[in-house]
Formats: sequence, structure tokens, C-alpha cells
Amino acid sequence: MIYLDNAATTHPKPPAVYERVQHALAKVGASPGRGAYRLAREASSIVARARATVASLFNIRDPNQVVFTANATESINVVLKGWLRPGDRVLISAMEHNAVLRPLRSLARTGVQVEVVRCGTRGELDLEQLRSLLHPPPRLVVLVHASNVNGALQPIAEVARMCLEQHVPLFLDAAQTAGIQPIDVEAWQLGMLACSGHKGLFGPPGVGVLYIRPDLDVAPLLEGGTGSRSEEENQPDFRPDRYECGTLNLPGIAGLAAGVEFIEKVGLDAIRNHELELAKRIETGLEALPGVRILRPDERGTGVVSFIVADLHAGDLGHLLDAGFDIAVRTGLHCAPLAHKTLGTFPEGTVRVSPGFFTATEDIEAFLDALGALLSRRHPRH
Amino acid sequence: MSSQDAPVADGNSEKAVSVDAVICDQDGHGVEQAQWLIKERPVTLYLNDHELVTLLCTGHHLDELAVGFLKAEGFLEGREDLEDLRVDQEAGRVDVKSRLDTSLVERLWQKRTVTSGCGKGTVFYHALDSLLSQPVVSALQLTPAQVWNRMQDLHHLSSTYRTTHGVHNTALATADEIVLFRDDIGRHNAVDMIIGHCFLHHLPLADKLLITTGRLTSEILIKSAKVGIPILVSRNTATTLAVELAKSLNITLIGYVRAGKCTVYSGAERVVCSVS
Repeated sequence: MIYLDNAATTHPKPPAVYERVQHALAKVGASPGRGAYRLAREASSIVARARATVASLFNIRDPNQVVFTANATESINVVLKGWLRPGDRVLISAMEHNAVLRPLRSLARTGVQVEVVRCGTRGELDLEQLRSLLHPPPRLVVLVHASNVNGALQPIAEVARMCLEQHVPLFLDAAQTAGIQPIDVEAWQLGMLACSGHKGLFGPPGVGVLYIRPDLDVAPLLEGGTGSRSEEENQPDFRPDRYECGTLNLPGIAGLAAGVEFIEKVGLDAIRNHELELAKRIETGLEALPGVRILRPDERGTGVVSFIVADLHAGDLGHLLDAGFDIAVRTGLHCAPLAHKTLGTFPEGTVRVSPGFFTATEDIEAFLDALGALLSRRHPRH
Repeated sequence: MSSQDAPVADGNSEKAVSVDAVICDQDGHGVEQAQWLIKERPVTLYLNDHELVTLLCTGHHLDELAVGFLKAEGFLEGREDLEDLRVDQEAGRVDVKSRLDTSLVERLWQKRTVTSGCGKGTVFYHALDSLLSQPVVSALQLTPAQVWNRMQDLHHLSSTYRTTHGVHNTALATADEIVLFRDDIGRHNAVDMIIGHCFLHHLPLADKLLITTGRLTSEILIKSAKVGIPILVSRNTATTLAVELAKSLNITLIGYVRAGKCTVYSGAERVVCSVS
């Protein structure tokens, strides 16, 4: 199997991730923050170290501002549903994922005003329209750092500056870029940050990351047991406990920490360069094939490459690669119908190839050979 | 040209046999009376010395049937791929050697398409069909009168059907005349024979219409798209999937050619008709 769906979840993981998950589950096992005995203390210590590791990667000054959730979608829901109120305006880009769109469509029914900032046909944000829509200041700006459809990278530093000028919190969806692109929470003074643990951070599924700037009073989505101030019937107001209730996913968090440590060891630049090199090779190879159209971004932020083939359904092509060559790619809309509308590939979607750090050049050559063999069976009848 | 090669010969005497039978009425009275029955026999196709499939058919034009089937299924692409073709009429066996690397087609053949719920779904149910089917490009047009006349021509050629009522008739035609007629117990077989004949004799299909007595189903539609036939005509109805496929593959689908009328389900621009 050649796995080219790393934008959905990275596979395989660094060996230390499997080991740390196994250790946390088999050797530690206790619930973090829920006891004073040795194993519970060790569990708490694993979580604390993971918090510090993640904080360091994103340059978050206080590790206690790092919240562990179940996934990026939950992190996004916490912010949108805890910060926006009826009558508020929120700006999003035309490249957002359903993780942002669907909660906002739900909030719109309660009176939240959702405005979409245009993006070009390659996914680039229209900064002039954003500038204009920032007057009067909305309650929030939500922006996907890089598209999960075509890898288009948004000019986050500039957007952050524009938002700061208007005192509008910027919520960055870094699901695709965490572990690949540099993210500097303090320098950009981000309002909020959400990402998955199981994609570029190499953690197992089941852990998401959330950061909320200390001065922003976002109401929690869930309330319940935190293992702290148990005498009080109200949810604690300090972080991370305000947003973390119920038993934490210790094996997942332990694995996530191992994944982030792997990134630090290998280096963000090395990971990014490898993936961008592979993307470049994919694009060059695709250009040589008949009937292929690549959905190129202006500036590429990740290794995600999307393409379509004239008169061949993306889903069919994905199945042909799977059944004929044991190659895994993602097809369709990638849970991002708005992005596909922007790119002009709605409703059929695209074939998405997303190499990861463990993808070898030979894997890409095998993919291109397979695609070439398939397309050689199609002949124009014009 | 032998009777096996004849483009429009029916060959009735080779396909039907007389058998003894008793005709009973509902009052319990019977009369002995010979009946003409269509022949049915299994024929096995071997591709590059490997058994591929056994077709149940009438047993004639086996060379055309074999290469038509293999062409439509993707095991043959161009005429140059056909290295050898041997028909053992007695044994019901056809051996074909293809120069094409058929390993990919063998892996994908008859595999059901599996797609996610993320995006508009495909109209195909077999993975290979989606690869080998392409929208048909053709300048062919015809009038409803020509549709009607070609259907009448088809009926005039179908002496086996009149004798046995046991075959489907299929013809390839230009707007003005039928150029090839085949019949078989299986409507797919008859179409395969036509595809096979054109493959063996280098006959183009983009300027022809296919006329059949069978229903216009997705299978016939896909088969036609793979070889580039732009217009399908039937005296019967079409199915929903066939119409959906016809629209996406730019094929004109004309059904219910009866009583001086016809129904155009898709690709009406190829039928010269003022629609009120």
C-alpha cells in the first residue's frame, strides 16, 4: 500500500509515538489529575510535559493556555460557540472547512452574521476585501492557514496585523499546517488557534489542540469533572481546566507529545521541505499526463496536491488507483465544499494526493506511473 | 464473403431447430406440433491461454462475439493488439491472444466501484467502465423518419425472430441504411458481435447508430460509450440509469420506436425535430 492521504491523517507515525501510546496505556493507565498516587501523578506529568512540548512548538508563553480536546473540530466548536453571540459578525475565508462552516451555519440561525471574504480561483485570500470588511470590526475572524484541498497558504502574518489594528481576535485553523509551517502564537498575537493532533503533529487520533488568548473570555462547550476544585459546583475559571473536563485521552496525549518531539528533532524546515519537494514532483508529473488539470495554489503551504481528469469522476479514479495499484488517495470534496466552489470543482470535487514526511520519492513515482498507465487507456475521440 | 461474414444475413437455418412439442389448451386438450426453437450453447473465451468467461449464446459469429466482448471489456484496444484468433466451433471455444498488457484490466475487471460520501457520486458501478467510457463525439444527426425507417428495416431482417421468438435483433446503421445485422439469444451478445465485426474490419462507429430490440439499459449504454457509438435506438424503453449515463456520456437515447413515434431520452440535438 502506498499511502498518500496524509492530509486526512498522517501514516505511519514515528516509532516513538506507538511506543509512548503503549506505555501510557499499559504501564501508566491511571487518569491524569484524578488522584495523588504514583501512577496518577505520572499520568498528570505526561500531560503536563505534552502541554509544554506543544506550547514550545507554537511559541505559546504559558503552557497552561494549551487545551487538549478530542480533535480540531471540537476545538473550533469551543471557540465559535463560546465566543459568538446573536448579533455578532464573524468573517471567514472562502476556503474554510466544514469544521468551521457547519457550526457557523448553525450559529447563523441564532442571529450570528457570517460574512465570507473572497478568495481567488487558486485559493488566495482577497486582502483588500478583508481590509474593507474589518470596518466596523467584527467579533472574530476565522482563517484556515493552508487549504486542505489544494495546499494554498494564506498570508497569516499580514492578516494577523490587520486584525490587531482593529482589535479583532484572529482564530487560526492550523489543522493542515501544524507541524509543517512555523506558527508563532505570541508574535502574531493570535486570538485562538486550533489544530489536530493526528495530522502534522504525528499523534494518534483522538486528540486536538486549542489555544485561547488569556484575555479572551470564551465560554466552555462542556462542563463537568476536572479533578480540580471538586468542592465547587461551578466549572473552574482557570485554564486549562475551564475547557478540559471528563477523563483526558492519556495515551493519545502521550503519543502526541512523542510526535511533537519528533518534529523538534527532525526540524520543521526539513519536514516542510520534504513535503514541498514531493508536491513539486507530483505537479511536474501530472503536467505531463493528458487531460489533467492541477488546482494550483499561488503559494503552497503543504504537500497537498489536488487535480481532476477531464470526463473521469474523481471518485472513480481514486477507486481505480486503490483497486488497481493499492494506492490510497482522497477524492471528492474533502469536507470543504466552500473551498471547492471557490476553486471551481464543486460538486464532483478532486483527487487529492497528500504525501507526508514518511512518503518516499519512489512512492510518488509509483503513483505517477500508475496514473499514467490508467490514463493511457483513454483516448480522445475528437 | 461467407454466410458467417455476411453483414446483413440472418442465417436462420443455422440458428433454429425443429423440436417435437405438445400444444395444450386450458381445457386439457393437447395437439402434437413441431416447434422451431433457437439454439443455445455455452462458448468459452480463453485470453492468452487463460479461461476468461463462458458466454451463453446462439453459437454463430463466434469470432466477432469473442473480439467484440474483449474489446468492450478492455482486453483489446486497437486492431494491432489482436495477435491470434482461433474458433473451435465444435468445442464451443475461442482462443484469443492479445499483445496488450491485460494485467491491469484483469485486476479491475468486474470490480464494483466503492466511493466515499464526500462529493457527488459516480454514475458507474464498475471501476473499469469509468476508465474506458468517454463522452462520445459525433456529428451524426437523423430525422425521426429515418429512425422509424431503420427500425422497420431491422424488423424485415429478423426472420429468426419471426420463426422462434427467441432472439434479440441488433443492427448497426447509418442514417440511410442498415450496414450490419446480428441476432442472438442475448442482446449483449448481438451488440458484441457488431462491435467485434467493426473491430475486425476496421469499420468506424462514430458515424453510426445502434438499433436493438432489447431495453436500453446501463450495460448497453456503457458498452456503446466504450467504443464510441453516438446514438442508441430501441423499440423498447430505457432505464433511469441508462438515461443518466447517456447524458454524462453524450449519447443519444431513443426508445419506444413504435406506431410512427419515438421517445428521445437524451441527446435530442442529434434528432432533427422541431419541439413545441
